[in-house]
Amino acid sequence: MPPFPTTPVAKLTGHGGIVHALAYSSGSATYILTGCSDRTIRLYNPAKAPPTSVAPASASHVYAPGLISKYSAHGYEVLSIDVTRDNEKFVSTGGDKTVFYWDVQTAQTIRRWSGHNARVNRGVFGGEGDSVIVSGSFDGSVKIWDIKQNNYKPIMTLDEAKDSITDVAIFDAEILAASVDGRVRSYDLRMGVCSVDVVGYPVTSLAVTKKGTEVLVSSLDSTVRLMDRTNGQLLKAYRDESFVNTELRVRSTLGLNDSVVLSGSDDGMVFAWDLLEGECLHKFRHSEMRELKGARNVNGERKGKKDVVSAVAFCGARREWASAGGDGNVVVWGMDT
Amino acid sequence: MHARRLSSLLDSPSYFNTVGSKEGWAPKAFVSSRSNRNKDQSNAAAQRPEDFMDEEDLVQAAETRLLETADSVAAIGIAGNAGRTNDGFFGLFVTEEETMGVKVVQQMGWRRDQGVGRKVRRYASLDDGTATSKDASSQHLFAPKDARSMPSAREEIHRKGLGYQSEARLGRAEQDDTDPGPSLAFSFLEPRNSQASKKVAPKKSSFGVGILNDTGSDDDDPYELGPKITFNKTLGKEKKVKKPSKFVKPTVAEKLVYVPKKAMKPSTSLSRTFQDQHLSLKGFILAIRTTDSSKPKYPPPQIPQGWKSSKTIATEPGVQDFQSVADAAKSSTLDATARASLLGETPLPSRSIFDFIPKEARDRLATLTGNSHLPQGLGQSVPNGNQLSDKAPPPKDLWSFVPVLDKTTAAGALAKGATGWMPYAEDPKKRARYIGFLELRAGSKQDLPERGSDMSVSDWAKELGEFAHAAQVFKPTSGIMASRFTSSKSSSQSGVENGPPGENLLRHPTTKIEDPADQAAKMGMYGPLTRSNLPFHPTRLLCKRFNVEPPPDNPHSADFSPGDFDTKAKTEEAVSKSDLDKMMREVSTRGPATQRPAWMAYDSVPAQATEHATVDVEANEALSKERASEDVFKAIFGDDDEE
Repeated sequence: MPPFPTTPVAKLTGHGGIVHALAYSSGSATYILTGCSDRTIRLYNPAKAPPTSVAPASASHVYAPGLISKYSAHGYEVLSIDVTRDNEKFVSTGGDKTVFYWDVQTAQTIRRWSGHNARVNRGVFGGEGDSVIVSGSFDGSVKIWDIKQNNYKPIMTLDEAKDSITDVAIFDAEILAASVDGRVRSYDLRMGVCSVDVVGYPVTSLAVTKKGTEVLVSSLDSTVRLMDRTNGQLLKAYRDESFVNTELRVRSTLGLNDSVVLSGSDDGMVFAWDLLEGECLHKFRHSEMRELKGARNVNGERKGKKDVVSAVAFCGARREWASAGGDGNVVVWGMDT
Repeated sequence: MHARRLSSLLDSPSYFNTVGSKEGWAPKAFVSSRSNRNKDQSNAAAQRPEDFMDEEDLVQAAETRLLETADSVAAIGIAGNAGRTNDGFFGLFVTEEETMGVKVVQQMGWRRDQGVGRKVRRYASLDDGTATSKDASSQHLFAPKDARSMPSAREEIHRKGLGYQSEARLGRAEQDDTDPGPSLAFSFLEPRNSQASKKVAPKKSSFGVGILNDTGSDDDDPYELGPKITFNKTLGKEKKVKKPSKFVKPTVAEKLVYVPKKAMKPSTSLSRTFQDQHLSLKGFILAIRTTDSSKPKYPPPQIPQGWKSSKTIATEPGVQDFQSVADAAKSSTLDATARASLLGETPLPSRSIFDFIPKEARDRLATLTGNSHLPQGLGQSVPNGNQLSDKAPPPKDLWSFVPVLDKTTAAGALAKGATGWMPYAEDPKKRARYIGFLELRAGSKQDLPERGSDMSVSDWAKELGEFAHAAQVFKPTSGIMASRFTSSKSSSQSGVENGPPGENLLRHPTTKIEDPADQAAKMGMYGPLTRSNLPFHPTRLLCKRFNVEPPPDNPHSADFSPGDFDTKAKTEEAVSKSDLDKMMREVSTRGPATQRPAWMAYDSVPAQATEHATVDVEANEALSKERASEDVFKAIFGDDDEE
């Protein structure tokens, strides 16, 4: 079995709230962008933020270790971040119902699109050359915004969902949208078909495999499912007795060449399952920055509402992943060196 | 001149020259001259224009009279056509009258000297004759060249055929025919130096209003062109009329023509003048001899004696014997029965009423009408088949009170009662009777509807009538009306039954039927049960962004434009063009959705790109097909009130 990174290698500090959004930069994935409920987006270099980093006092102007820049434009919490493939631009969405399109170098917003009626839960790049941004919102609609043309209206709006859109994913020419109404809708632009998969429970996270034929779905029944996209069948379900995800939006992702399933949880734990076998490989406690070994009863150690691991992200370039928690910190986990 | 005349009238504020005089203006007592209209004919001549003119006018009239020389006198010395006014520039002095056609066409964009028709694309031809560059881009659209104008209408040319003699010319010497000159020949501008003064027919439309017709109204525009009242008596310079005026002009009753002595001799020379000094027509010369002696002369053939022509005059047949249909009808003596027998018809078994009525009745009729020619009353008995039948029940039967009700209506009213509501909720006995009546009429019962215990027969009959009416009113609505209404779930019996009040007030929400897919998912049966596919139509721009071909059957593929930012998903758009077309089609074929009867299922035809209907020029389906059914018409045009 390939080794799994279990050692904290960096700690990104400084955020003043729950870190909802977590994204590695593209390509060599040197940097990490985080979006927080304190309305800021921070760009970190995890190499410069040792695990022993301590957040500076909130009043001081000292930069936290590893922090490269701060992006402040949101009026409300930042709920998602996505970076273009060329690392030049990124998109952030949040509670102010607007989609922000940033330039990394100048740290300014190039475009802002408003059109959603409620907070925008997710915004991702799509299309050829990242020419569109697809955003999903609490109002139940998925809007597709055109970057190339200077239009304030979306190219298209998909509002088949009957409840909040929690996650949007794009694979090639297909747009997937997960909704609280328990369905994952996959819009195939080539075929002109929208496939609806009923999961049964509110879906909070989507992750498409590299092949594109499966999708990882998190739902609020404390289950992570791997679904076959071609026929809607369930391939694998990932559960654990200590895995709790019933209230909060918690992300899950695939890693290590789609061999591992990683998910945060409502109570500060991070779980890793083997994709094919479905057994839980590792459990981590984010706040303690350690892996939990053994089948101990971990429920008693919950530290309250803020102890949520809301986002996890796998590094695309190396064996590394990061978890973002309710305490405002991001822990980067890597291999033992 | 006319204006001056008018002002002279105004200047002297005289009412026919009476105001200001010592008599003043005293209106005459009106005497109707309707019957005496012709009386004053002899006096008409007494009223001359001069009577209406005061001193100033007379002076003016005298002034404006021009001395005119006779044309012939003035012509002496001027040879031929020298003094003619119709020279090359003749056309320039033509006043341009803008007819209505010209005005209309000008408003439509035509300009004078343009031709009509489509604009032609050619190179510009500059006035100064310089060569233009002959490349393709310098071609422009120009109006076509004007066509050569046709010579004016025949009536404008005062030229007649050979030998035509107008009345005006009778009695005068033959004139020299004028040269054609320019094609526009205005006769009044022809030279005065022709031998005789031509009296041309006066123009029918004169200019202005003469003094006799002057009503003093300022609305009359003296310069108004148009047919005005023509009159013969004008004072002043009107060139057209050439009456021998009693004034200064020397009368030219007869022309004195200087005829050279040569013409008096009967000469063999080529000449144009007849012996009575008349000129022959232009281009003709007098013939020397009338017969052509070169040709041999032959006498007519001799008719042999006793010869009769083989051709006879055909006598027209039957001209005298022609009788019109009306005449024939008048002369006929046949009556209806005779004609019938002629035609061979079987006589109808018609019998007059007089056969059946008794004698007394007939006599009574005869005296009343005064017509004693009525046929005799025979008092016969009624023939078979027309008698009163004995099988009918006596009219006093109770059944006669039970009103008639259509079976279907009764059945419908019963059905309505089964599903929904029955009238007479407050009186269950009455309701039971109502149902009984309905059942009788629907055919399921045969007995007389029961009568209430304390009801008289008449009340009962009235009640039954009420029931019949109620059945017709409360029959279940169908189709159009049904789609408008839905019955309430709570029954009207709550007022009657005093059940536990809490139960009736509480409305239990109907339990949601869970989506089978949800059920399957909850059970873990993922797969075909949980997977469903819907059509999805990405916009072309979106496909372009994703670098994919738009899927087929895309309604947006027709109306994409690069600048079309506002295209949204088909489900979201307020009304896309294809939807609009679809709706229009639906409304026109099935009526608006609100009026569509319930049985018309929703349109399940997939929204495909509409192909253009092939147009058949020869046949028109709309006209040749049968009229649509009444239902369709009612659905479309029916009122809401009627059904």
